Amino acid sequence: MTTLTKEAGVPSPADAGALLSVRDLYVSFKTEDGIVRAVDGLSFDVQRGKTLGIVGESGSGKSVTNLTILGLHNPMFTTVEGEILLDGQELTTAREPDLEKIRGNKAAMIFQDPLTALSPYYTVGRQIAEPYMKHMGASKRTAWDRAVEMLGKVGIPNPKERAKDYPHQFSGGMRQRAMIAMALVCDPDLLIADEPTTALDVTVQAQILDLLKELQQEFGSGIVFITHDLGVIADMADDIMVMYAGGAVEYGTTNEVLRSPQHPYTWGLLNSMPRLDSDLSAPLAPIPGTPPSLLNPPSGCRFHPRCTFQDRVGGARCVNERPLLAPDRSSACHLTADQKRTIFIEEIKPRLG
Amino acid sequence: MSRGGRHVYAALSVLAAGALVLTGCSKGGSDASDNNKQDKENAARQQKSIKFGNAADSTGPAAAVPGAKAGGTMEVLQRDSYAHLDPAQIYVSDEGSLATLIHRGLTGYKASDNGKTHEVVGDLATDSGTPSDGGKTWKYTLKDGIKFADGTPITSADFRQTFERLFATFINQGPTYLQQWMADTSGVDYRKLLPDGPYKGKHLPSTVLETPDAKTVIFHFKSPHADLPYALAMAGYAVVSAKGDTQVKYDKAPVTSGPYKIQSFKSGKSMVLVKNTNWDPKTDPIRNQYVDQFNFTFNQQYETSTKALLADSGADQTGLSFNNQVDAGNLSSVLKDPKLKSRTISGYQPYVGQMNINLSHAALKDKTVREAIAYALPVTPFLRAYGGTDAMETAGGTISPTVSGYNAAFDPWGKKKNPAGDPVKAKALLKKAGKLNMKLTFGYINTPEGQQYSTAMAAGLKKAGFDVQRQEIPAETYYDQVSKLNNNYDIFHSAWGADWPSASTVIPPLYDGRVIADGAQNYPQVNDPKVNADIDAANKITDPVKAAAAWEKIDEYLVKDVVAFVPTAYYKQTQIAGSKVGGLVYDDVIGGVDPRRLFVK
Amino acid sequence: MLRFLVRRFLGAVVILFLLSIVTFVLFFGMPRDPGLLMCGKTCNPTSLANIHHVLGLDKPITTQYWIFLKNLVVGSNGFAQGPCPAPCFGYSYHTNDQVWATLIDRLPTTVSLTLGGAFFFLLIGLGTGLLAAWKRGTLIDKTATAGAMVLSSMQIYFLGPLALALLVYQTHIFDKPAYNDFTANPVTWFTGLIIPWVVLSTIFAAQYTRMARSAMIEQLQEEHVRTAKAKGMSRRYVFFRYAWRGSLIPIVTIFGIDLGALLGGAIITEYTFSLPGLGQLAVQAVFFSDLPLLLGVMIFSATMILLFNIIVDACYAFIDPRVRLA
Repeated sequence: MTTLTKEAGVPSPADAGALLSVRDLYVSFKTEDGIVRAVDGLSFDVQRGKTLGIVGESGSGKSVTNLTILGLHNPMFTTVEGEILLDGQELTTAREPDLEKIRGNKAAMIFQDPLTALSPYYTVGRQIAEPYMKHMGASKRTAWDRAVEMLGKVGIPNPKERAKDYPHQFSGGMRQRAMIAMALVCDPDLLIADEPTTALDVTVQAQILDLLKELQQEFGSGIVFITHDLGVIADMADDIMVMYAGGAVEYGTTNEVLRSPQHPYTWGLLNSMPRLDSDLSAPLAPIPGTPPSLLNPPSGCRFHPRCTFQDRVGGARCVNERPLLAPDRSSACHLTADQKRTIFIEEIKPRLG
Repeated sequence: MSRGGRHVYAALSVLAAGALVLTGCSKGGSDASDNNKQDKENAARQQKSIKFGNAADSTGPAAAVPGAKAGGTMEVLQRDSYAHLDPAQIYVSDEGSLATLIHRGLTGYKASDNGKTHEVVGDLATDSGTPSDGGKTWKYTLKDGIKFADGTPITSADFRQTFERLFATFINQGPTYLQQWMADTSGVDYRKLLPDGPYKGKHLPSTVLETPDAKTVIFHFKSPHADLPYALAMAGYAVVSAKGDTQVKYDKAPVTSGPYKIQSFKSGKSMVLVKNTNWDPKTDPIRNQYVDQFNFTFNQQYETSTKALLADSGADQTGLSFNNQVDAGNLSSVLKDPKLKSRTISGYQPYVGQMNINLSHAALKDKTVREAIAYALPVTPFLRAYGGTDAMETAGGTISPTVSGYNAAFDPWGKKKNPAGDPVKAKALLKKAGKLNMKLTFGYINTPEGQQYSTAMAAGLKKAGFDVQRQEIPAETYYDQVSKLNNNYDIFHSAWGADWPSASTVIPPLYDGRVIADGAQNYPQVNDPKVNADIDAANKITDPVKAAAAWEKIDEYLVKDVVAFVPTAYYKQTQIAGSKVGGLVYDDVIGGVDPRRLFVK
Repeated sequence: MLRFLVRRFLGAVVILFLLSIVTFVLFFGMPRDPGLLMCGKTCNPTSLANIHHVLGLDKPITTQYWIFLKNLVVGSNGFAQGPCPAPCFGYSYHTNDQVWATLIDRLPTTVSLTLGGAFFFLLIGLGTGLLAAWKRGTLIDKTATAGAMVLSSMQIYFLGPLALALLVYQTHIFDKPAYNDFTANPVTWFTGLIIPWVVLSTIFAAQYTRMARSAMIEQLQEEHVRTAKAKGMSRRYVFFRYAWRGSLIPIVTIFGIDLGALLGGAIITEYTFSLPGLGQLAVQAVFFSDLPLLLGVMIFSATMILLFNIIVDACYAFIDPRVRLA
């Protein structure tokens, strides 16, 4: 991961060398109850051939971020501010025809539930062939062959026959493979995977993850991998961004974030994971409180109502002042770097076992 | 049941009012000036007594229609398709109108140019018939040169076939006068005379029907029947081809004898009439043959045909309807428009409405009570319900202006001058009878009109001191209900149409006390010995003019002295035609436009 | 698919059986004696009894029903009016025409009215609905929706005469509507029916506009539609290939029902425009207590409705592969 070498508080310019570069993204929805701030100032990069894992609870804004990248939000109700650069091309101000050229082509998405995400009315083969025909200008014949090829690549046996089947005739795991095939058919540079394994059972999950890693090797694509499952992230991601209430609270390499996390939320997450080797009678330790409303987010640090370390910060800074993601070992918290290190080593780590 | 006659189909009024059209509230009430005008028109329209014509009157050709020229096609828009084309099955008025063009009988009606005066003349016969033996025997001689449309000459054998087949069971829709007279019985027992008709080789004995040669037909009756010429003029007794008698199939494809023949008939959809080249105008004193072709289209509701003929464009310029009226919604505006005068005709239908008083109920046996009802009953609501004075005319007696013997001055209850009724006088009478606030059950027909007029009539009766309870009767079974002898309705309305312009088809079936039976038409159940005797006497009179006067006397007696019913209205109708239709005359006997005078301008 | 069709077909036959039984029973429950019509004007108990005998009305109802079924399947030579080949519904009490021949004769009018009307209301209704969904939120959408609501409240007996007055009688633009034989002259067939078609379609179209619009809007929010968009397919492609496919099922369902009902006889339309179709026949049959004709029309109409329900169900299998019809 590229270390942001600049002072705290000053946003760095978009990294022109990165595959995907997001700067100060704000996404809000107009609803009947008011304005929902789904994404509240987000910045990150994704490099070619690398995987960025985004972790967070439901409502943290991770899915919204993804949809916004490809412009899949509803323009009538959504306001987007900020910069999104895909290989140097600005996406927030791009016109619809340009976005269409990118979608499925340069950047593709994999969705969470392949049963609802794939159309029940068309064969799998056809759905895979569609973007190929459109973006590559291929003939029906060629595109179909390509679809069969892709199905084979994602490990579906007897791809020639199965391409003629409908999504409901596939098992869950196979369906997801088909979806992956569909996303990769045009060799995209960027792959956005929105919780692709959440709906699958664990064994299948492992297969899918391996598949993705293989394909990334083969194609050299950059992957944005969204999940709420820390175990999966540990396996897949090179870098991790932890999101909470519409913003990033921690950002670093997988190693750094998982081995020496520096945000109370991340600590809470790690702490709350059940462990195979823990004492059976010991209670689980969830993070107290509930995720905040995005209509009326808490003032200052979004996490402060649930944070047990507020008192270690002077004054009422946590309540009044929103912490920014610091450039060095990024973590949006008012605790000093030293405090963070110390608390982790002394208080958190022992509990993690 | 004895004689036939024509009911106003209860259902007709449902459709006639144009169920889906707002019935216009036309000028319903009467003001003095209107009444005077009406009286004058009535006087002019009054059916002069009809005479029976002689040989000279019966000789063709028919009088030319002024301004007529040959050629052209006419479009006829009809609401109902023709259910029957077999003359023996024809009784309803629309089939009757059609029959004037295609069927001929022994006698027929010759009309004056304005359609108001008629005489009965010989049609296929040389004259209207020679009676003898006090009216028990009638002799007819057939004309020369009469042929069917297929070219075969018409002989007495065809007439034998015509009359004998009336006894077969499949003939059940037409009139039954002749059959009953031949069998000398009332009711349906006449069939016993010749149960299978002529189809099994049996024939009527010569003591009933004689055909000594090809040109002679002689009827022998056990009782005198002075009205035979009228009866034979009905379409129901028109000639049927003995050679071409296909029995049940004849109803769809008859062999015609009139100036037109049927080129095609699609039941429910259309019909085409073309000229019958075998019809010789020299033999026909009553019909003309100007138009080349008649194209009939069925299923044209009154609103549709009225609108089309008003618009008068394209084929509708030579369009008309034989039996559709101008619909109630358009009636008053059509009559007010001077531009339309040349293409509208109005006249009477044969129906007369009356409010029957149920004489079998004890409370109504008191004549004073009945007089109170007669004074109190408002007639205006009835007129209004059907579209006002353009559609209905206040009645004085039960004999219609279209019937021989009509007396326009007869109005004992003052309804013509005061159709709203006289509740004051009625109340006084009721008090005198000591029956103030007596209950009166008023059975009314469940149609929009029935609901409308019965409410207003009940209100009028209440003002006179009656406690009126209205009871609704469904339209489909109305006549079945009110003809039951022990029905519980004190007063209820009915309408009746004469079968021919003589009251012999009105008074006997409705007021002869000896025909009272379940299902019969003596609704008030009047059984007055004087009436019964007078009926017998009138039936014996052979001279039609004298007979008409005798019937009218019975009518007046019934209305004024017996008070068995209160006459309400004479039914009228207005018809409209396209601008190129010539010879447009309303014939009171046909009850609509006379098809025999039509030509394309 | 074959098994499905056979199963539904048999089911339909059962329903028709039941329907005929119900009609029979209801008919004899009517207060008016069916023999009265045939009995004629000079009816009395003797002749009525005679008529009952001739028509077979004096037999027990079950026997009559059995005879009716037999005639239907094998035909009958027992009628005085002539031979009556299968399917024999007998002869009308009122017109003495063969009922089957009458039904067949009226069928082209009703079929023409229905198919033509369907063509127009689908075209106008779906077209407007799709347009409204495409341009959702704009003035076009609001106008289309408001227009649909107004028109769907109209009735034929209002619009019909209005159209006639405006287009035929006042302005003479069109001729009076009538059914002209298609095989004789397709042009007059078209011009004769165009006004009834447009009036019929105006009223039905509104229903389809609203349905198409709401179905499309709902579909556009479905996940798989979003996926299509995420693949880079154009807005038009997504609209017509993805959202539209999903909207088809409710639309086809309603269409099947409407088509079946219209083929059974659009009574008010036929009355308003004086078209001799099955609807008019039905009214006539009830009016005159004409049992053979009544049975004929009812079973005929019911067959149409059932047939179209089956077709609609079969269509589901084509539209949605998840529907298995075995």
